[in-house]
Amino acid sequence: MKWAWRVARALITSQYALMLEYRAEIILWALSGVLPLIMLGVWSGSGAAAAAGISAQQLSRYFLAAFVVRQFTVVWLINVFEEDALQGRLSPFLLQPISPLWRYLTAHISEQASRVPIVAVLLALLGIAAPGLIWLPSAGALFFGVIAIMAAFLLRFLLQLVLTTFCFWSEKAAAIDRLLMIPYMFLSGIVAPIDTFPPAVKRLAMATPFPWMIDFPARLIAGEPVNIALGFTAIIAWCLLLLPICHLLWRAGLRRYSAMGA
Amino acid sequence: MKELRRYWHSLCCFWSSSIAAELEYPLNAWVELLSVLGNLAGSIFVLKLLFGNGVALGGWSWNGSLIVLGLYTVLDGFTTCVLQPNLSRIVNHIQTGTLDYVLLKPIDSQFWLSTRTVSPWGLPGIIAGFCLICWALLKPSSSISYGLPSSGALLLAAALLIASLIILYSLWFVLAALSIWFIKVWNATEVLRYTLVAGRYPVSAYPPALRLIFTFVLPVAFLTTIPAEALLGKSSSIWAIAALCVAGICLTGSRLLWNYAQRFYTSASS
Amino acid sequence: MSIINAKELSKIYRVSEKQPGIAGTFRHLLQRKHREITAVNQISFSIEPGEIVGFLGPNGAGKTTTLKMLTGLIHPSSGELSVAGHKPWQRKARFLRQITLVMGNRQQLLWDLPALDSLKVNAAVYGIPEKEAQRRINELAEMLELGEELLRPLRKLSLGQRMKTELLAALLHQPAVLFLDEPTLGLDVNAQVRVREFLADYNKRTGATMLLTSHYMGDITTLCPRVLLIHQGELFHDGSLSELTQKLAPCSQVRMELSKIHSVEDFCGYGDIHYLEGHQVQLLIPRAELSERVAALLNRFEVVDLEVSAPPIEELIGGLFRSREKL
Repeated sequence: MKWAWRVARALITSQYALMLEYRAEIILWALSGVLPLIMLGVWSGSGAAAAAGISAQQLSRYFLAAFVVRQFTVVWLINVFEEDALQGRLSPFLLQPISPLWRYLTAHISEQASRVPIVAVLLALLGIAAPGLIWLPSAGALFFGVIAIMAAFLLRFLLQLVLTTFCFWSEKAAAIDRLLMIPYMFLSGIVAPIDTFPPAVKRLAMATPFPWMIDFPARLIAGEPVNIALGFTAIIAWCLLLLPICHLLWRAGLRRYSAMGA
Repeated sequence: MKELRRYWHSLCCFWSSSIAAELEYPLNAWVELLSVLGNLAGSIFVLKLLFGNGVALGGWSWNGSLIVLGLYTVLDGFTTCVLQPNLSRIVNHIQTGTLDYVLLKPIDSQFWLSTRTVSPWGLPGIIAGFCLICWALLKPSSSISYGLPSSGALLLAAALLIASLIILYSLWFVLAALSIWFIKVWNATEVLRYTLVAGRYPVSAYPPALRLIFTFVLPVAFLTTIPAEALLGKSSSIWAIAALCVAGICLTGSRLLWNYAQRFYTSASS
Repeated sequence: MSIINAKELSKIYRVSEKQPGIAGTFRHLLQRKHREITAVNQISFSIEPGEIVGFLGPNGAGKTTTLKMLTGLIHPSSGELSVAGHKPWQRKARFLRQITLVMGNRQQLLWDLPALDSLKVNAAVYGIPEKEAQRRINELAEMLELGEELLRPLRKLSLGQRMKTELLAALLHQPAVLFLDEPTLGLDVNAQVRVREFLADYNKRTGATMLLTSHYMGDITTLCPRVLLIHQGELFHDGSLSELTQKLAPCSQVRMELSKIHSVEDFCGYGDIHYLEGHQVQLLIPRAELSERVAALLNRFEVVDLEVSAPPIEELIGGLFRSREKL
């Protein structure tokens, strides 16, 4: 246990130091997450939200929360993994006593930690530009919201991990992840609040893991009524479904990787 | 004249060699096709939601908004075809030092860097965009059927579309060229790509503050809304002339910046 | 009429100094401190058409900077420079068609494409008609012993084959001047020999002028009758390699194997001791006194084996650079 703690601390501090080197890039990546804010602009201009029973204030809080949630649930595992596998950097990682996945996971966590000040500055700038936009969520909303963000991140990580294992078999697995971005964009609530969906589409969306990644945490933070128990149960259920799949695929992939003599 | 022929011949060689290389990965074709169709379907779905209670979007009808979406898809296809493969390579050249080889060729370096590769996978986007535009123009709608635009409107729209392509190219190229000074901001083109998504919707759909930003800071308005207005015959000549001027200024600006960047690179590198 | 003419060529870089840490960043924002680094200091030389000249010098001596100034990739800070009748930094198309640069550690050919495709692109850019380009490709491929390698993607070739295709691509437009920056870097011994043979052959066939920088002495000794020695940005030898060895160390190396073990003092007066270990001793003796000292040594000691040779050039030059640094 003490060994695990020591390894975790070493990984996190080294990855955090690495992320500090990438400050400028991370600021830009944070900026590229402005889609929810753009959608807020479009939605507030149309009357469709009001027709679905969402007030202007609810709309702006939802999209702002979605913006923050998206910043902290970004997963880029497949890109670095594919690059590492192609360049042959994976082999030294595999020789180490811990799975390389822990390295990637701590890299993500460190990146999120280094994003906190950047997101804070962005929110401050938004607050100056449009004073009515920023509000302080209630303690309960904040508490559950942060946990929901972490859970959503884990879910997204696992989902992308499944695709990442395909890198062992194909050089173009990252392209398939781009296909998965499409249902993520449209069904998770980033571009449209799920309440505005027609009932049939809404039922379809709820059956996928996507709404739980953005819609659920965003609504928690925005203070909207949401079934907390259902949300967390759904996330846990999806994670439990994906974990064994990831494990099996990872093992199979590693066998193939070493068989290829890479 | 001989120079022009040499440039044209070089362009043909550039593109035939890179298409040949890309065609080695047929899986990409399917992924791109599905990606374009999926994005289009999703965008139309969101547009339908926005039109939910029948009120027009910023004064634009359903068909009009589809035309804007179609134009955006064409521009996105162009980005995937020409801008993305070439301009993201500039940073690579600078980091590995192979920019030296480009500078030593007896051909304009901006031309080489902007056109060396082409990705055929942007074509589905371009074609899908044009199909959507045609469909929106011809489809009988409940309120108005636009029918075929007049030849004058078509010519103007075509000119404005070319102006949009030039503006888009210049934005991308300026950002990529900045990596001569700031290697660390190599992914600034990604930010550009994600913010240009605002072009999916007509610019009047946005609140006034954002409208200003999308006209003067990030000229998204010029990219999709103004050519769409021209197609619908609603274009006011002032905006059309402004678009063409902006295109000219952007292109000249990109050229000046590149010349300056080259001078910087050759005086200070080792 | 020399094809390359450099007069008091200099390159000085201004580098801003920044202290590490946050305090340093702020100080740097408010008040920038600059330092001037002289990469090349008033170098003058001229090269005739058809010559093969080697640039020699330790890392950071200014060889690559000088080479890049000659190709026009770097603006000189001061001095006059003309290559093939042009000022290189203006990078006119007519000038660029007459030169070529090959760098051992960077490639101009695209990784994923077969070399032949990249060659066709180069032919189009240089305005070479297709039939003529094909003829030149065939001719150069024969000289370089390349065949179906041209049809395979570059990433599937070995380093030696890649270097040869790079040379082919660089020579397609029949430049008058070749600049080669470490062309044999990383190649195995056989590949190095092949490349050297090719370059010498090419020079004989076409009369192209060649300027070569290298760390491998083999490149310089086999190819370059003339050597420019650069150290810390200054040129301090311009002539043949044998002149250089004469100038540097008119000494011979005498290696002896003795039957008895001796101490250092015993060799006093016979020459500088290079090393002394057990029965083996190696001395450096000035060539002028070689015969009498060797005779004296044979007299004084019981010699089992004796060998007289010239010290390796690398050591001489290395020693020269070390001593210059101390100056």
